[in-house]
Amino acid sequence: MASRDTYILIPAYNEAIVIRGVLESLLKLPYQLILIDDGSTDGTEALVKDLPIHYLRHHINMGQGAALQTGFTYARRRNAEMVICFDADGQHDPNDIPLLLAPLVNGETDIVFGSRFMKGAVTNISFARRCLVHMARLVNFFFTGLWLSDAHNGLRALNQEALAQTKLLENHSAHASEFLFLIKKWNWKWKEVPVHIHYSNYSRRKGAKPASGFKIFIDLTLHKLFE
Amino acid sequence: MSTVQIILIAGLLLIIAYIYLRLRSAMVDAIVFILLGLVGTVLVIFPDFTTRIANTIGIGRGADMIFYFSILFFGFVCLKLYARVRKLEQQLTKIIRDIAIFQAEDARTNS
Repeated sequence: MASRDTYILIPAYNEAIVIRGVLESLLKLPYQLILIDDGSTDGTEALVKDLPIHYLRHHINMGQGAALQTGFTYARRRNAEMVICFDADGQHDPNDIPLLLAPLVNGETDIVFGSRFMKGAVTNISFARRCLVHMARLVNFFFTGLWLSDAHNGLRALNQEALAQTKLLENHSAHASEFLFLIKKWNWKWKEVPVHIHYSNYSRRKGAKPASGFKIFIDLTLHKLFE
Repeated sequence: MSTVQIILIAGLLLIIAYIYLRLRSAMVDAIVFILLGLVGTVLVIFPDFTTRIANTIGIGRGADMIFYFSILFFGFVCLKLYARVRKLEQQLTKIIRDIAIFQAEDARTNS
């Protein structure tokens, strides 16, 4: 399994302040990078044009789920063997990527989730966000019957089979729960691994707000109703 | 006939005419909506009739019955519209996605 067939997908919307640093740290790894610029208006494109990455641009801001699915479709067209989803705001640690890939490489699972709450994980998550995440775990359990130690952690990895079966329909934050629907639908084997998530003042400002938790719940309810 | 009845009947007849003109190609939908419009017109002319129907299903006043059913009907309309918005958003997403992928592949081919 060649590292060149492993792609890191980075959806980004107005992350000009941090994006170049995030990409440069990922370029040290032997994987290919796909940046999906989700309609940024802050000059992201000019900042990354000289980097050896795959640059995709949504002309309109469609949401993180839509951007990820664009990356999945593109990676599939390039015969990717594995893909990793990685946030653009600098909260994820590139050193966790080999840990996420290991269960896929040895055929143990189809999808691997990063977890902020397993033994060995390191995170400076705030109390309010921690409460929100635990509520999201309950919501996920309610909708799927799957009980994960974390929820809505953007760090995850998929093998080729899971990649081919993934068609995200939720354009916004509810896409994170859609992976659990896909586990149920396609009977994927899954696993969580402890990861390092570091929230900076910047990523806290950009991150999900308590109100978005309510919107995710509504989106998931409607997803169940209409899809 | 009171003034409000004339206003309501005129409004309902206008809606019927509009639906007929718009939905001539979808006759089943047109017939349902035109029937609803005609029933509305009859109820406006004979308001006591709504009260009698309301009484049989345990509601005091005809106007209240219309109000309750309107809430149900508009809730249903909201859901239908939401489904339509979702569908449109998915179609738009597909176009945006296809353009993004085409341009990225084109750029790599030409570089």
